[in-house]
Amino acid sequence: MKTLVLIPCYNEEANIVRVVERLKSTCPDVDYLVINDCSRDRSEEILRENGYNYLTLPVNLGIGGGVQCGYRYARANGYDITVQMDGDGQHDPAYLNKVVGPVARGEMDMCIGSRFITKEGFQTSPLRRFGINVLSWLILLLTGLRVRDVTSGFRACGKEMTNYFADHYAPDYPEPEAILDAVLNGYTVGEAPVIMQERQGGVSSIHSFKSAYYMIKVSLSLIVHRLGSHPKKRRKNV
Amino acid sequence: MTPELQLILLAGAVIYLLLIFRLLKIGKLSIKFSLLWLASGAVLVLFAVCPYVVYVLRDILEIQMPSNLVFLLLFCFVLLVLLILSVAVSDYADRLKRLTQENAMLEKRVRELEHRLDGRDC
Repeated sequence: MKTLVLIPCYNEEANIVRVVERLKSTCPDVDYLVINDCSRDRSEEILRENGYNYLTLPVNLGIGGGVQCGYRYARANGYDITVQMDGDGQHDPAYLNKVVGPVARGEMDMCIGSRFITKEGFQTSPLRRFGINVLSWLILLLTGLRVRDVTSGFRACGKEMTNYFADHYAPDYPEPEAILDAVLNGYTVGEAPVIMQERQGGVSSIHSFKSAYYMIKVSLSLIVHRLGSHPKKRRKNV
Repeated sequence: MTPELQLILLAGAVIYLLLIFRLLKIGKLSIKFSLLWLASGAVLVLFAVCPYVVYVLRDILEIQMPSNLVFLLLFCFVLLVLLILSVAVSDYADRLKRLTQENAMLEKRVRELEHRLDGRDC
């Protein structure tokens, strides 16, 4: 199956080479696409010099707009499976098959790599875990589906899901909203256990002082998204 | 209301309308948004020329000062305009996002084509 790994990259000059090289050596049979979201550091130069496959956005769109661009690229190039993987080295390509597996077998439309199933590896700070739990609970309340690691950016999407995300993808901090959106539109969403690393350089897109704003915004967008939309039953054509 | 005040209000409203027409003429304002502003200007002119309308409205709504009624109306109008502008900005943000994404994909194609052509020249 034709698989594309999307690696969003914003000011990741310290990590991006290691991430891409690790992916290429671990999974030589998948394609990858780095999406440089108008980085202000040397990321683009590094991508060009190394001859990597990359897109570079002329204007900074934020993680949502960047990833959506990747889904559009995947749709235009007819990929069967699209995987998202962070550009900071948190996600180990060794677990790629675990995340891709359920999608490739047609069990799920979207499979999220979750660090909270086996509870091994980097578990993030207690405060963040609390925030993630609140969002997870909110999604359970709104959709009836329990997803533990709602903010995980390590996820695989099947072809139909990819085509859907190419047209509809939340801007800013899209991970939890994408789950809600997928479930409400009748796609099957699930999780697979993975082990994550602590980021190895650079700064996370969610800073501590922005966390409260993030929580409020995501909660609001989840609730607004749920309002007035009835979960659709989708016939699976596998 | 003194005739002086009425004259000043009328002059202000007319200048406001002329400004809108001027902006329209030189293409700094789109027709779509101008309708809203023209309507507001027309209402202001009406109030200045014929304050009787304001007095009647005040009596109907039982507001003490006629000016309060004008402020209330203007405030509601401004709120509405701001909301419409927010909608417009969101719409443009979405279009900009699409354009940026398409541009990025085209840039990639051009880059690869150039690379391939360079390879052929050598």
